[in-house]
Amino acid sequence: MYSLLPLLTLIVPLFSGVLCLFTCLFRFLEEFSRRMSKILLLISAALSLAPPLTMIPYCAVGEVLETTGLGLRADSSNIAALVSTAILFFLVSIYNMGAEKGGRLKPGVYNFFLLLFLCCMFGLLLSYDLFGIFLFVELVIGVSIILVAHNTIKAATEAAFKYLIITAISALFVLIGVLTIYILTGESNILHLLSDSEKQAALAENPRLLMFIVACFIVGLGADIGLVPFHGWLPDCLPASTIIINGFTAMEPIPLILALHKLVAPLYRIYPSNVMLAFMLGTGLISMIFGALMAYSQKDFFRMAAYCSIDEYGHSLFALSLLSSLEMQSFIIGQFYLINSTLAKTGLILSLGSVYFKSGSSDMDSLGGLAEKMGKTALSYVICAFSLTGIPPMSGFYAKLLFFSASYIFFYEYGNSMLAILMVTLMVCISIISFVFLTRSFHRIFLGKSRTNIDVKNDVPMLMWLPTIILAMATLVFGIRPDLLLRFISPV
Amino acid sequence: MEILSAITLVVAALITALGCFAESTRRTIILLSVQAIAIGSVTLVRCLIDLIIGLNVEALIHFFIAFAEWFSAAVVVPLILYWGVVKTENVVDAPIVGARRLAILVISTAILYMFLWIFQPQILQEEIATLSFCMLMFSFSVFLMVTRRDSLKILTGLNMAENSLYPLLAEIPIMLVPFILTLMIFVTAIGTYIIVEAYRDHGTTLVDRWRWLGN
Repeated sequence: MYSLLPLLTLIVPLFSGVLCLFTCLFRFLEEFSRRMSKILLLISAALSLAPPLTMIPYCAVGEVLETTGLGLRADSSNIAALVSTAILFFLVSIYNMGAEKGGRLKPGVYNFFLLLFLCCMFGLLLSYDLFGIFLFVELVIGVSIILVAHNTIKAATEAAFKYLIITAISALFVLIGVLTIYILTGESNILHLLSDSEKQAALAENPRLLMFIVACFIVGLGADIGLVPFHGWLPDCLPASTIIINGFTAMEPIPLILALHKLVAPLYRIYPSNVMLAFMLGTGLISMIFGALMAYSQKDFFRMAAYCSIDEYGHSLFALSLLSSLEMQSFIIGQFYLINSTLAKTGLILSLGSVYFKSGSSDMDSLGGLAEKMGKTALSYVICAFSLTGIPPMSGFYAKLLFFSASYIFFYEYGNSMLAILMVTLMVCISIISFVFLTRSFHRIFLGKSRTNIDVKNDVPMLMWLPTIILAMATLVFGIRPDLLLRFISPV
Repeated sequence: MEILSAITLVVAALITALGCFAESTRRTIILLSVQAIAIGSVTLVRCLIDLIIGLNVEALIHFFIAFAEWFSAAVVVPLILYWGVVKTENVVDAPIVGARRLAILVISTAILYMFLWIFQPQILQEEIATLSFCMLMFSFSVFLMVTRRDSLKILTGLNMAENSLYPLLAEIPIMLVPFILTLMIFVTAIGTYIIVEAYRDHGTTLVDRWRWLGN
């Protein structure tokens, strides 16, 4: 049904952001902007929550809310991701109240970019137009580059420049892929493309070209997400960004990975090819293995979190790429896994940020015994870490269970029972590696003897530990009642 | 392909090649501007002729769109980069070709020509000559990006690569052109801002002095 709610979802954060920007344009508002910036961001984040929450009752009963003409559409395939992104943004905005210390950007400009970032993530989730997706992807990345450079440390500009060059080149690949589809079919709306057999035939007649388009999307969006082998920027950006920006950018993979699925899955439906599956599954598998192995050897906890993120992105992409007869289930499992891992990962990264905030160090060798002083942070860290590794009763357990089960069925259908067992064994081994490095990091940071060179007297302020505890509790709730989330996810 | 298009594309490819070996950042930016002028001029002249002959609103819109594309690529983007030079320094250096950089170049060129090979038998028969030039310019731009240490030259190379895709961009819906242009200007502005900030931090625009390339 025609609705302005999808459009309103974009307008609210954008308009709030522009208002924040105005506060720093006029000198007489500068003082107000400096004092009120954190509250303004929190209010804007709360307001931005309203449109996605309003859409839940409609989407829960299977209705489609569409702003025709702009290619924006909210339905059961994107509402869960939309609401999770909005809630995560709101929680990190609370964290921002306690942790933000200023940086290169003026407070009003900083708020503007954060809200533009949220607007673009919403746009990416809601858009079904190829050019719309391209624009939102590039805007999300462009804004996150600026946010990385916001930190005043020297490494920030270096990391931001690396991020810019890698993603700007990858943008050209996305553009080439989008343009090729448009030139071939004359259509830019994905849903129209799927409902028009002539346009589908135009694509299906060119299988080599179709593979090339898929490759362009994987390279282009893979670099933006941080998938192996296009991940070069990610391990540098996490340690170089402020702890709050790490929290905000932790939710970025939800729209980006779903956008990659949104672009590739229709092409697979038009021309089911094993090569496409091999591209997607291969990228996911390599990211999983590489991420887990590299995270294991890190001493800096932000770099460890970066490689852990790559591992999780790999899992999510792999689950979403189990297309063929399992497409419906793979979409639900993949999105469930993606949302759960993002919840836990954001909690983990914010907890690590709290440790950095108090100790001023991210070197795990120089830390230890912080559990006594930072009990709440330690609790949220361990719950989120256990959720990421799939320990019951956290939501990660259920997500991994579904993931292993879907992988087994897929490889059983495509190969044989031996291959299926082998693949599941490999994935269990990867999870064990994750368990080892995350448990070890907890031990190195929070247990053992207190270091004399680190002077930590108490835990972070409530505004900082509260969001991490809420995220940890959310992983517990979704672990006990996964249906609370699962019932809102279904494919288009 | 028309003779006029062929000439301008040859000129643009030549200018891109010159950009690869330009020593100062200022000269590289000037060559970027000239490259954009050359690539965009054919479409611009064609739209102008259509406007003069047709004198209708559609032709006027097409002309304005073509002019906006041409102006942003040939004037706005180079000016942003030039602002970067004013705020930092005009580095004079020569391309450095090591084994790693050469490997990147060879792989990227091979991928580009594979793209052309995929396109060749199926569609765009009439565009194939134009695409060959696009790929050639793209390869030169990649060469510029991988063989330079000056971050502003790397960013200029990135813009040259974007300009080389200009003939493909002519296919996008008119309504989206302003957004795509804004995005391209936005990316250049972010890049220049980061370089200026990095210059303040490090006192140089040379990336090998920055940690991530292992100083």
